[in-house]
Formats: sequence, C-alpha cells, structure tokens
Amino acid sequence: APIKWRLQTYAGAALGEHVIKPAIDSFNKIAEGQMNIELYFADQLVPTGELFQAMQSGTIDAVQSDDDSMASPTEVTVFGGYFPLALRYSLDVPALFNSYGLDAIWKEEYAKVGVQHISAGSWDPCNFATKTPINSLADLQGKRVFTFPTAGRFLTRFGVVPVTLPWEDVEVALQTGELDGIAWSGITEDYTVGWANVTEYFLTNNISGAWIGHFFANMDRWNEVPPHLQELLKVCFEQSHYYRQHWYWAGEARLRVNETKLKLTTIPDAEWANVEAEAVKFWDEIAAESEVKAKVVAVIKQYNETMTKAGVPYRFG
Amino acid sequence: MPYEMIAVLMFSTMLLMMLTGQRVFGVIGFVAVVASLALWGTGGQTMGFSAAMKLMKWYPMLTLPMFVFMGYVMSESRLAEDLYKMFHVWFGPVPGGLAIGTILLMVMISAMNGLSVAGMAIGSTIALPELLRRRYDKLMVTGVIQAGSSLGILIPPSVVLVLYAMIARQPVGQLWLAGVMPGLLMAGVFILYIAVRCTLNPALGPALPAEERALITRAEKFRLLRAGVLPLLIFGTMMGPFVYGWTSLVESSVIGVAATVGAAVIKRRFTMEVFEVATRSTLAISCMFMWIILAALSFGAVFDGLGAVKAIEGLFVEQMGLGPWTILILMQLSFLIMGMFLDDTAMLVIVAPLYVPLVGALGFDLIWYGVLYTITCQIAYLTPPFGYNLFLMRAFAPPEITMIDIWKSVVPFVILMVISLVLIMVFPQVALWLPETVYGK
Amino acid sequence: MPRSIIIFVRLVDRLNYGVGRFAMYLLFVLMGILLWSTISKAGGAPSLWTLEMAQFTMVGYYILGGPYSMQMGSQVRMDLAYARWSDRKRAWWDAFTVLALIFYLGVMLWGAVDSSIYSLTYNERSPTAWRPYLWPVKLVFCLGFFLMILQSLAFLFRDIATIRGETI
Ligand code: NA
Ligand code: NA
Repeated sequence: APIKWRLQTYAGAALGEHVIKPAIDSFNKIAEGQMNIELYFADQLVPTGELFQAMQSGTIDAVQSDDDSMASPTEVTVFGGYFPLALRYSLDVPALFNSYGLDAIWKEEYAKVGVQHISAGSWDPCNFATKTPINSLADLQGKRVFTFPTAGRFLTRFGVVPVTLPWEDVEVALQTGELDGIAWSGITEDYTVGWANVTEYFLTNNISGAWIGHFFANMDRWNEVPPHLQELLKVCFEQSHYYRQHWYWAGEARLRVNETKLKLTTIPDAEWANVEAEAVKFWDEIAAESEVKAKVVAVIKQYNETMTKAGVPYRFG
Repeated sequence: MPYEMIAVLMFSTMLLMMLTGQRVFGVIGFVAVVASLALWGTGGQTMGFSAAMKLMKWYPMLTLPMFVFMGYVMSESRLAEDLYKMFHVWFGPVPGGLAIGTILLMVMISAMNGLSVAGMAIGSTIALPELLRRRYDKLMVTGVIQAGSSLGILIPPSVVLVLYAMIARQPVGQLWLAGVMPGLLMAGVFILYIAVRCTLNPALGPALPAEERALITRAEKFRLLRAGVLPLLIFGTMMGPFVYGWTSLVESSVIGVAATVGAAVIKRRFTMEVFEVATRSTLAISCMFMWIILAALSFGAVFDGLGAVKAIEGLFVEQMGLGPWTILILMQLSFLIMGMFLDDTAMLVIVAPLYVPLVGALGFDLIWYGVLYTITCQIAYLTPPFGYNLFLMRAFAPPEITMIDIWKSVVPFVILMVISLVLIMVFPQVALWLPETVYGK
Repeated sequence: MPRSIIIFVRLVDRLNYGVGRFAMYLLFVLMGILLWSTISKAGGAPSLWTLEMAQFTMVGYYILGGPYSMQMGSQVRMDLAYARWSDRKRAWWDAFTVLALIFYLGVMLWGAVDSSIYSLTYNERSPTAWRPYLWPVKLVFCLGFFLMILQSLAFLFRDIATIRGETI
C-alpha cells in the first residue's frame, strides 16, 4: 500500500493556498502514488497547542510550523517564530542554518524528543497591524495584540498586552474586541487572510526581517519512508520556503505602495533604537537560561557582526 | 476502507445508537473514539481528548453560561410580568390581540437572552394560563408560544449564532446584527397570520370585551408603557458597548448578566430561590451543551481525518455535478430532516464542518448562511419527534393539552418559518443590510 | 444487590453531588474574572491573565459539573421510543448502552492521562505571555472524566437493580 501522511500546518486555508498547498500538490504529483500527503489546515485535526504532542505520538505524521507557536518542548523553542530584531532580510535565515551551523543544532534538539527536523526556511517579516495608529512607542501601551509567545514576552516591556488565540480566530477576535491588533506578519499576509479588512494601520518598523519556520515529521514515520522519497520531501519543502521568499518580497512592497486599506505609520528611528537596545538585553537574558540557548545567541551575534562589518547592502548605518 | 464507506458507517451507527435512547453526547463520542481507534492508525486514542483542548480555546463559548443564566434570572424572577400586562392592555381590543401581544413579548424577551428556554418558561407561565382563561384556541396559543420563543436564537444575543460563528470562523457581531431584521420579519409574518386567522374566525382569539376595556384608564395604559423601558435598557447596556467596540463579546455577556440581576434586585424579586434555580439550571444546560459539543468536535475531527469530508464534498460537487443553488437547497432540506431527530447543537457541530466550507466555496455569503442555518434550528426546535420547544411545552403545559395537541399546534408555524426562510434565501439583503450598514467602512 | 454495590452507588452519588455543587458556583468566579477583565480594560491596563483564567474556570465548571448534570437528568436523549418504554425496558437497554458511554469516557480519560503525563514531563506551559503551567487544568480533565465514569457505573448498577426488581 502507498505511504499516507497527514500533515497539519499552522496556516488557515486562505494563507495555506500559497504557503503550503503548492508544495504538497507538487509532492503528490511527483511521488506518483508511492506516497500521498493529506494536507490539513490550522486547528483542523488537533488544536495548534497540542500539535507537537500529536506529532510526537504519531497522531499527526508531519507538521509545518514555527517552534514557538506549536510550543515545542525543546531548548530552541524561543527562537522559533522569530527572534526579536535578529534578522533583517529573508536570506538571513537560510544563511544562518546552512552556513552558520543552526541546522545541526535544530536537528539534534528535535531528535532528542523523537522528531525529525526536515528543513528551516525564512518566512515573512513581522510587523504590527492595528485598529488605532502607532506613531510612537507610547502608543503601544495597553494594546491587546495577537503575537508569538516569545515576541509577547519581549513586547510587554513596552506595555503591550500579548494575547494568544487560535490563528483562525484572529479575524473574529479583532471584530469582537478581544484584540486591538496583531504583531504577527508582513503586509502580504494581512491582505491575503483578510486582516487588512479589520485593522486600519500598518507599522513599517518590523520586529523581525523574517521569522523562521520549519517542516517536521514524527521520527518513526520519517524512517519508514524510502530514501528517494525522503529526498523528494526535502526538495519540495525547500521549494515551499523559496516560494515564500519571492511571494512576500514582491507582496510587501507592492501592497504598501498600491493598496489603501492599511495606512502606513512609522516610529521615529531614534525611538525605535530603544527597542533594538532592549532586544539585545533580551537576548542576553535568554542566553543565560541554558547552554544551547547561549550557543544559538552567540551564533546570531557573530552573524550580525559579520553582516554589519560587510556594510551596504547587508546592513545600513 | 473507502472514504464513502467510512462516512456512511459512522453516520448510520450514530443514528441507530441514538434510537436506543442513550445520552446524545455518549453516542456521538462513542462512535468517534471507536472509529479513531479502529481506523486512524498510530495515536488514534488521543483524537478524543485533543477536542477538549480545542474547545477550551474557543473563547466565545464563555458567553454560553452567561446568556443561559440571564434567561433564567429573567424568567424565574418574573421580570417580564409588567411587560406582558403592557401588551395585554394595548393589544387586547383586537381579535387575536393577546396572541399578537405574546409574539411581541417574545421579541422583547429574545432581545434579552440567547436561547429559547427563557421565552418558553415566561410564555407558558405568564401568557398561557391567561390566554386559555380568555378562551383562546389552545392550538393557537401553544403554537404562538413555541414559535415566538424560538426567536430567541435569531434575535441577538444568540447562543446558536455564537456556535455557528465558532465553526464558520465568522464575526459574531455581524452575525448577530444579521439576525435582527429576519427576526423582526418572522415576527411580522406570525402576527399577520394570527390577525388574518382571528379576523376570519374570532372564536380562535376573542377580543377583550368592551366592559373590561372600560375598566382600564387612559393614564393606566400609558403608565404600563414604562415596562417596555427595561428590556430596551438591558439590550442597550449589553449590545451598545459591544457594537461600538468598547467591550469584547464575552465582557458584554457579563455586563448583560449584571444588568439583568440588577433589574431583578431593584424590583425586589431576586430571592434565594431565584438564585438557586437559576444557578442550578444554568449548570445543567451549560453541561448539556458543552459535553455534546466536546463529543461532536471529536466526531468531526475523526470524520475529517479519515477522509470522509472529502468524500462527501466530492459526491456533491464532482460526481453529482449539482449547481450552487441546488446544493444549498439540498443542504437546507437535510437540515430540516435532521432537525426532526437531532439536537441542533449536535447537528451544527457534526454537519457544519462539512457544509460551511462548501457554502463558502460555492461563493455564498457565510453571514447570510448563518441566518439561514439559525432559522432551520428554530424549525428543528418545533418539529417532532425531537424538538426542545416541544419537550418544554409538554413540561410547562397543563394536562388538558396533549402531546398530539402540541404536535398539531406547530404545523402552521413551521410552514410560516419555511416561508420566511425562503424569503431570506431569495432576498439576502434582509439579513445583510444591517451588518453592512453598521460595519461598512 | 450486594451491600458493597449499594454503598458504592450511594457514595458516588454523594461525591458527585458535592463536586457538582462546587463546580456550579464556579459560574460566579467566571463572572468575576470577566468583570475584572472589563474593569481593567476600561482603566487602560488590560490584564494578561483574564482570558486564559476564564477558560480554565470554564473547564472546571462543565467538566466537574458533568456528573451532577447527569444526576439531574439534563443530558438529552433522543427519546423517540425511549419515552414510551417501561422503567424495566429502559433499564435493560441502558444497561447495555451505558457501556458505550463508559467506553467513550475511558478513551477520553486515556487521552487526558497521556496529555497530563506529557505536561508534567516537559513542564508544559501555555504558549502565551502569561505562561501558566498546563498540568493543573489537564488534571482537572482527568478527574472529571474519572468521576463521569464512576457516575456511569452507578447508573449501570441502578439499571441492574431495576432489572432484578430492586431499587437502590
Ligand atoms: Na436572543
Ligand atoms: Na425537531
């Protein structure tokens, strides 16, 4: 019998149409019936909070998510969704994983909990979209914002009240008043999933240039797949990451310029520098929590240093 | 096993087991866990429990006990008595006037609670004895109360629309507003029906005799109008801040509770007994709902994960090659038939994950569909053999009204509801105009 | 019926009545939390913890209140035929079909225990800024399903008694 996998993604159907479905369709087509992946969207089979556990126990065979929102019980989970202000461009993520050794750390950490880490990719930038404008840090005070757990911890320093809800409920929660805004994605996702219809403003200062997302599989299920199909899985998932790179890169600029549903605001550079300084402190606190975390923070610091020294176009100023 | 086979097997087993009279949640849950143990593969045993965590995260469910509690406080403390007197005095003189007044009373009560239970309790304790004493036709009276109280789930606040919002992932505020005009339309249709029938045959609903009317002074009549202020006030304190975005949905529900309890306390009717009955009944109803939803969520996820949803979609769209309207009408028909046998919550949680994405894919508006769905639930409350309002009527009505009477009494009203349903299907703007006006940018 | 069974049934009834009455009052805790949420929001500093705490309280409310709601007979049945049967006939059917209910609750308990063990092993915290530990709410689930099983067993013994022409 052909191998059958159930893969559940963090994304709802509207976003999934871009960020996962094309890759799954390609895989199923090329695999010619030797293996078939059934795709399920956010919360469809199991709630996102239980997703990791479901994969570990084999209820779900494979998962597309960041470490943070699926609450993986690993040392690297805090770096999951994103790392506040660590990254400037989407190419930073593959560079860190492929040339700076993060890939090996992730594979090792996940193997310890019975999960195969298949591949990491850069996803979209992380900006605020809100109902009332944010023109200065003071405007963040008291805002109830949907965001990643780690970003939430960081943003409480500026008076943000982070709220975590099922991803699919965010649009409704913006309308029922549970949320004042989101700090989750770039403007492409805001328009694609309809959040642009229920928010008014988009803050151009980003907390991350691109957050990190992954594909994982239950270790036993992975080992049952013959090598040529394992290879095909890797290639198709890489293709999914690549699709995002150009889809977001094009979308972020085009929607800012040509669309009018979201008005753009910016926090002055001098004030935003505060946030970056706070983020550096935040990394040091995280590094102090464990050896693995310290190692990852050191790698990212070293990477950023190299990029700054390299100058334009890697880093400006 | 082929997908179609799984779908048929799961549904038929569930229906057969329900016929044995075991508790609905137990039957649904049993079929779900057996299917997942037998067919899921590794880890199937956790599918049941993961639904519990999913349900926990559904924050709008927090409003369920609030709206139920409000309804009980209102009916137990007899807050609606003055309101009933008002309608009684103002509408008594026309043929069928008391029945018309009862419909209007039900509209007001519907605006203050989220289910049909409160309307049933108030209607059968206050209106029913009075109408029978006035020699109103018993079929007319029981029908009016059952149909009128069902407006509770269409006119906001509505628990059914909250549930639908969760499953269809649509905004509660817009759904609630979408229910307003159809609710008023339906009340209008009921009133028209009563007026026509009672004018043709005044024996069905005799007007108040002239000598009795003479006893009520003009001043008295206007004094009674003040009773109408209370429901407007409760509705306003709850809905106003919510629609304006000052409070969230769940916060508004607790404000509604505070307003209702406040009104009962001021009227000195919030006794220990009211407190005990309302608190205990709220637990009973909330547990009933939550355990059914819990079981049905497991059922839905297992059904989906085993590929049965895809099978049914494929059957409707690809194999049968049906057009969007045909599919929509078939869905409504299937809801009407299922509504005869199933609890509406079970119906929603089991079938909606199948229907809702399909409705969206066919290009229909999901807010509008929520209203259509809610009307089919109202009908389900009234259609024998399984209907909440039928059971409640049986529980509240005096013994001279038999079960057969109750079943007969709903017939004209079910027809009127189907007519309203068709009207709203043909003219979606009846539902959509208000939310589009309020929320339109 | 054997004396030990009669004692078991009465103990279970009393225990679940007590737990259910406790759960019943959680409604007011829930209201308090939501009121605080409203007030703190109006004061310009919305609380971090209210939404999740309300969700946990709701779990306690309906999970621990479940057995008491069964005692009150408020769990609906599709009583097309059931309503017209004699007590004895109902007892006969229930004595079999309640096993399905117990089986369902057993699988739910299995899942809840699995999930609780996971929670305790990895010290699982809710992925929110408040980051509460999740094992307490998972243990509430375990307890609730366990009490539901006890209550269902009590119903089973009652049905057997009815079939034998006795009452407990
Ligand atoms: Na209502
Ligand atoms: Na029915």
